[in-house]
Amino acid sequence: MALLKGTLDVLVLKTLSWGPMHAFEITSWLEERSTGRVEVDDAALLQALRRMEERKLLGAEWGVTKNGRRARYYRLTPAGRAHLRAEADRLVDHFDALVTILGARTS
Amino acid sequence: MRFELRPGVRRWFRLSRRNPSALHDELDEELAILIANRIDALVARGMSVDEARGEALRRLGGSLDEARRQLHSSADQRERRMEFRDYIESLWQDVRYAARGLVRRPAFTSVAVLTLAIGIGATTAIFSAVNVMILRALPYAQPNELMTVSLTAPGRGNITAGSHVVWSYPKYAFFRDHQQAFAEIAPFASAPYVITSGEVERLTGEQVGATYLRTLGLAPIIGRDFDRSLDAHTAAPPRVILGSSLWERRFNADPHAIGQTLSLDGKPYTIVGVAPRGFKGLSGTAELFVPITTLTDDEMGGAWSHWFNVVARRKSGITERQASAAAVVLGRQVANQFPDRVLAGAKWGAVADPLDQGRIAPLIRQSLFVLFGAVGLVLLIACVNVANLQLSRASGRRREIAVRMAIGAGRRRLVRLLLTESLLLALAGGVFAVGVAWAGTRALSQVRPEVVDFATRARIGAVNFSLIQLDWSALAFALGLALVVGVLFGLLPALGATRSTLANALKEGDAAQKRGITRSFSGRRLLVVLEIALALVLLAGSGLMMRSLSKMLAVDEGFDPRNVLSLRLTVPGGSIGRDSLPGFYSQVATRLRAVPGVTSVALGNCPPLTGGCAITVMWSGNREPDPTHDPLVGIYWASPEYFNTLGITLKQGRIFTDADRMGTAKVALVSEATARRVWPNQNPIGRHVRLGQGGFSEGDGAEIVGIVGDTRQWVDSLPAKDVYIPFAQSPRAGAMIFVRSTRDLTSLARDVRAAMKEVAPHYPTYDVQTMTARTGAATARARFSAMLLGLFALTALALAVVGIYGVMSLVVAARTREIGIRIALGADRGRVQRLVVGEGMTLVAIGAAIGLAGALACTRVLATLLFHLEPSDPPTYVGIVALLAVTAMAASWVPARRASRVDPLEALRSE
Repeated sequence: MALLKGTLDVLVLKTLSWGPMHAFEITSWLEERSTGRVEVDDAALLQALRRMEERKLLGAEWGVTKNGRRARYYRLTPAGRAHLRAEADRLVDHFDALVTILGARTS
Repeated sequence: MRFELRPGVRRWFRLSRRNPSALHDELDEELAILIANRIDALVARGMSVDEARGEALRRLGGSLDEARRQLHSSADQRERRMEFRDYIESLWQDVRYAARGLVRRPAFTSVAVLTLAIGIGATTAIFSAVNVMILRALPYAQPNELMTVSLTAPGRGNITAGSHVVWSYPKYAFFRDHQQAFAEIAPFASAPYVITSGEVERLTGEQVGATYLRTLGLAPIIGRDFDRSLDAHTAAPPRVILGSSLWERRFNADPHAIGQTLSLDGKPYTIVGVAPRGFKGLSGTAELFVPITTLTDDEMGGAWSHWFNVVARRKSGITERQASAAAVVLGRQVANQFPDRVLAGAKWGAVADPLDQGRIAPLIRQSLFVLFGAVGLVLLIACVNVANLQLSRASGRRREIAVRMAIGAGRRRLVRLLLTESLLLALAGGVFAVGVAWAGTRALSQVRPEVVDFATRARIGAVNFSLIQLDWSALAFALGLALVVGVLFGLLPALGATRSTLANALKEGDAAQKRGITRSFSGRRLLVVLEIALALVLLAGSGLMMRSLSKMLAVDEGFDPRNVLSLRLTVPGGSIGRDSLPGFYSQVATRLRAVPGVTSVALGNCPPLTGGCAITVMWSGNREPDPTHDPLVGIYWASPEYFNTLGITLKQGRIFTDADRMGTAKVALVSEATARRVWPNQNPIGRHVRLGQGGFSEGDGAEIVGIVGDTRQWVDSLPAKDVYIPFAQSPRAGAMIFVRSTRDLTSLARDVRAAMKEVAPHYPTYDVQTMTARTGAATARARFSAMLLGLFALTALALAVVGIYGVMSLVVAARTREIGIRIALGADRGRVQRLVVGEGMTLVAIGAAIGLAGALACTRVLATLLFHLEPSDPPTYVGIVALLAVTAMAASWVPARRASRVDPLEALRSE
């Protein structure tokens, strides 16, 4: 399922609220959580990470994975946390409205 | 292993920006890891390596290269954005840092800001004047196409050959009908009018051609323009176009005013339109416009009655030179058509000049440029002084700067930091300067320089001082000036301060520091020398103007303006018969004499010291006058009381009496200058002379019955040849009334107005002024220039003195040890003082020498503004050099005294 515009950022932020992760961990986590329904384009994910890093929603540093590989780890900054809260509320509200409209039975 | 820095940190350590390839490598690495992880995970799930690769590629959107390209380009964009933000933030940081530094040194900051505010503010004020009076385009359509066309007169009397003079109607009509260079052409002349319908009011109008507004590219805001057919012949139907201010005042801006009639001098005029807002004619004072052709042939006068100006618009495609050449050619035809019968073969002609050239009197133009130059010098001195202050700060901050350089700050970065501070100072100065400029422009707009050019009235008054205001262009000028000034006084000290090598400055060693100080001293000495030179140039200019002014004021005016009130009274044409005028005026005089405190009342036509009013030829014998040989004299109408009221002394013979009236033998008085120059070594009393005006040209003319003292018509020239004729023998419709009183003139003016309302209710009384005010106006331009130049010079002197004081204080501070040794070795305190003062005076001497050379070169532009004074006037120069020397000595004496009080032991211990 392709993602709606603006949704990816919130999903990434939500993922990172569980703790610092590198890019592949993030995309795997999203797939797992959505039981495979959300599939993120890898290039888009990297773009989103860098974009949010620039906006200071994320911090990043190089580290080493469990299997000894170098990887860039991203973590949520306080600004990112606040952004996540606001955007998540907005998105949930939005989808709730969509569900209400689309779920209404035509009488 | 690479390490990652936050942008802020990178900035703090002045690390160079990441190069793009490193940035791309990092992105590629992350991408590669992501792909590798994915393939690993897929293989772990049981996929073959090839399948896993295919899946990973799909997750990239199909193309690895495309994905990389996108990642790289957005990374580059982010990097650029970040750099820009960094740059802005660092600028802001500089500004905050500079502001903190300035706030921490309130004394330095306030002196610098004040100095700059005065410099920038004064320059802006004078710029506003120059802009309005000289630079800004005239407010008409395509103003560069507009030209004034004038006649040129042959030389005679005090008129030099080729002088531009005004036109007569027959000559103008010939020129208009034959010219081909101009698309539109129109005459205009300022004329007084009295509104006789409703409330009686006297105002100034213009008699113009029907094409006047069209020529200027203007159109009435309501109603219509004059019909072109009005130009066709004289005695045209009376029409009037109102000025917008008159329309608002008398008609409450009612559009229905169009078509109504307005009585002017008792004659009804139909209102056809309202002129554009703010347009007051080329004379600058007109409140209404009447076709010149409403005059009758008689009123218009013949070919030798010259009285109006002509403005014309060049046809497109005709250059300025072609137009003036055409005017010259046609001018010769005009001269042939109307040969000068009086002066055979006299060379009359015509010329066309750009309208812009005549916008202000040449003397005012020149004064303004001189002032602009002077104020520029003041600004330069102000800059030098602030640069000086900055230099002394910079040498104090040497260590701080060295530390910054040591931790990696680049020189450019440091220069920028110091420049930011200068610019901040300059902008603060600029803000206060707006206040100074506002006050300055207000003062300038109050100036009314009375420049009446009698012989050549061909100039326009559309531009005047009252238009000067602080507008956007002036504010933009001030801002630009502040920025330029900030760079100017900031750059040199900044470059100087960052030049020293690290090791040198960091070593607190005595030698290194001394070397630094001496070097900055030589720079500062140079600045002080420069300051003194500039101040001397200004002092020379203002000294000359002041001496010229005092010479001007010292010359005897020949009359006593104190305690005399003067006013004008106009009797609109024909409302009182010529024969009844003397009776009417004697009634007026009798009524005014009854006002308490009045000692005498006189009638005349022209106040002294305002440029004269009428010039005529004087001859005797039964022949026609010959203007090449017969003298031209100023002619004045005067009642018997005229001379004692104005305090003009009788030298010989008698003055007029009440018996000199219409019907009795005509008499005249001459001034001493006339007697001396027309009849050298002879007694003119008893001689008969004929005069070209006032009905004194017939028969024997008038007998000269007395000689009176000279009065001056021009503040800047010697008394001319004057002749007086009795008011009662040549009555005029308008008069100037002079009232001498023992009372305060302000309250007298009220009573006089009331008395006039009683005795002459239908005729306007106006232009009520004390004679002192009138004569004051005559010297206004000179006083104005002298005052402003003086102000600038004093400012310059004060700034220079501050500069000398500052430098000498520092010299003393740096040489405390040396002075201590000298005192310990037995030098007495007087000697130490002389040493320090001597050093200061050396600077002054060098500066003064340069300044003198500069002043001699610069003050030559003042030559035409000076009254009987050479621009190289030795006493002036001696005076200003002495003034400069004394103040400079005082400025260096204070630090010298401090030096002589140095305690040798303290001084030797101090390092």
